[in-house]
Amino acid sequence: MKRKNIIVFLLMTATIMLNAQIIHHGFVRTYLGALTEQDGEYSVLQNTFDWKLDYGKGNVALYVNPVFDYNALDDNLDISLRQGYMDIYFDNFDLRIGKQQIIWGKADGVFITDVISPRDLSEFILPDFEEIRIGTNAIKFDYYLGNSTFEAVWIPTFESTILPEENSIWAPKMPNFTMPVNYDYTYTEVENKLSESEIAFKYSYLGSAIDFELMAAYMWDDNPAMHIFLQPDSTLLIKPEYHRLPLAGASFSKAVGGAVIRGEAAYYFEKRFAAEDLTFNRVKDKDYAHYLIGYDHNWFGMNVSFQFIQEYILDYENDISNDEFTSTMTFLVTEDFLRETLRLEFFSYYGINNEDALLRPKISYDLADGFEVQLGANIFVGEEGNFGQYDENDMLFMKVRYDF
Amino acid sequence: MKKFTLMLLTLLMIVSMLSAQELTGLKIIENVYNRSTGEDQEGDLTMSLINSRGDERVREIKQYLIEFGDMEKKIMFFISPADVRNTSFMNWSYDEVGKDDDQWIYLPALKKVKRISSDSKSDYFMGSDFTYDDLGDRHPSQDTHKLLREEEIDGETCYVVESIPKEEEYMYSKTITWIIKDKWIGKKKEFYDEDEDFLKTLTVNETKVIKDYIVITLSEMHNVQKDHRTIMKLDNVIIDSGVSENKFTERMMKRGL
Repeated sequence: MKRKNIIVFLLMTATIMLNAQIIHHGFVRTYLGALTEQDGEYSVLQNTFDWKLDYGKGNVALYVNPVFDYNALDDNLDISLRQGYMDIYFDNFDLRIGKQQIIWGKADGVFITDVISPRDLSEFILPDFEEIRIGTNAIKFDYYLGNSTFEAVWIPTFESTILPEENSIWAPKMPNFTMPVNYDYTYTEVENKLSESEIAFKYSYLGSAIDFELMAAYMWDDNPAMHIFLQPDSTLLIKPEYHRLPLAGASFSKAVGGAVIRGEAAYYFEKRFAAEDLTFNRVKDKDYAHYLIGYDHNWFGMNVSFQFIQEYILDYENDISNDEFTSTMTFLVTEDFLRETLRLEFFSYYGINNEDALLRPKISYDLADGFEVQLGANIFVGEEGNFGQYDENDMLFMKVRYDF
Repeated sequence: MKKFTLMLLTLLMIVSMLSAQELTGLKIIENVYNRSTGEDQEGDLTMSLINSRGDERVREIKQYLIEFGDMEKKIMFFISPADVRNTSFMNWSYDEVGKDDDQWIYLPALKKVKRISSDSKSDYFMGSDFTYDDLGDRHPSQDTHKLLREEEIDGETCYVVESIPKEEEYMYSKTITWIIKDKWIGKKKEFYDEDEDFLKTLTVNETKVIKDYIVITLSEMHNVQKDHRTIMKLDNVIIDSGVSENKFTERMMKRGL
């Protein structure tokens, strides 16, 4: 808490010192969520102050985005820095240094080549995507040549995805072990040293005929592999361990007859998958492909978007917990009314393997410019799978947000 | 003498052909379309959206335009309201008949430049009474034009031209444009909906001459069916200042102003 106080103090001091040139913006939001299957028990009662500060002089710019979250259910104030970086602009290249969100790829709501910034999944994938992504400490270099951009990213320290806490309603279902289980976290930390850093490269082109990106990265898998050892005393020892994950991928988007076709694919080398075979400590290394095709169109004033996503484990073995092919579809439709003050939105994920789904209808209304009320629902359908496992977590929510 | 008569006849024919051309609706609209507006332009655009109760909402945009060869590039940086701040929109349009515009949007929350469908030209721009198509340059070959009459508005003689789209599914059944004679700039335009009912009127309230180019600096679109209006004001216009082509890139969409 001391550290947080120091951050706030420094921020306020810096703001006062630079106040003349700083541009303040951001939002204040109240978010209330109630679980319909639990007699309307509140799962979220949160007040957020998202403060963005911009300062620019010459070819240098600073950006700081502290976030103050007050969770009323556990009376806890959480202060975090979503992003905080400096930009240095040159004629043909830019440098961005600091904590930053880096977003790649053409997919919506699916992470294929978009693996640079880790994610905060403590509330599954329900928060806005701006809030799911964790800013990562990085140096990003962009070189521009006409409509092409060459990007290189160096992430000196590994930061993992934040998973839901064990007692959270969003904690994924764990396998049922028949034997007593012990954990060993000795290998869970990735050391903070140069040899353990991450690097990623991207070439992107934006032009009349097509937009596309090519990328390659030498990352860490954001999720630890659970290595399970059978002990002489017939107990199981679980050692979570992070592993390197090299990958290469590409994405494109192209206008075709008034519609937009999008595609994205990545090939991951030796990703760890949970398996049954204890001789391999219940982890197997397999190459893995993740790909998507999407279609966006405007029909009678409605924006409609479909995506088909598939994950494929190569050289598959039957004891691997995941299916050889996992297919998911997404569907999004939005329409604006009353001069864009009223918006209806329906977004859904459908898991083909487990016939499960997440349905997210939402209605937003602007009471005034920048002052919005949202009412919506998160409806989980099915019994198992990515979405079906949360069948008990159907939620109604309301958000009131004021942007300044 | 014979030579002189021949010359006179030829001259008369040329004059009659020219005057016939001037009186063609298509020719008038082509002159408007081809009127020189400079190589590049930047300006501050303010849109005031006023509803039937008189409530007003304001949108502020910084825009840059560049023309080269047979294409025009435009980039808009949204300044207000606060919830769209730092959003940017880029449009590349082409003189080539039938070639769709390329459009991208950068949403700061998503932090990526997204290509969008150019099929949404009938959508209203930021909740205003202007559609995306109203804000662009519609190619004269997309409509059949007919010169209806000449009429005086605010002391200026105008050609009145009716334009009927060749495309059946177009959002307007026809438009009627009042074009100031010799200036080749619109003074007023009426839009009729798909049911041929009168929908809205665009009125040009102010023009300025900047570096020999006539620029519309104040106009109003009035939707008579819903009785709301949008006042569009263009300030701080700078023409031919040498805006770089590098302004119209993914880099600038993300970087903003």
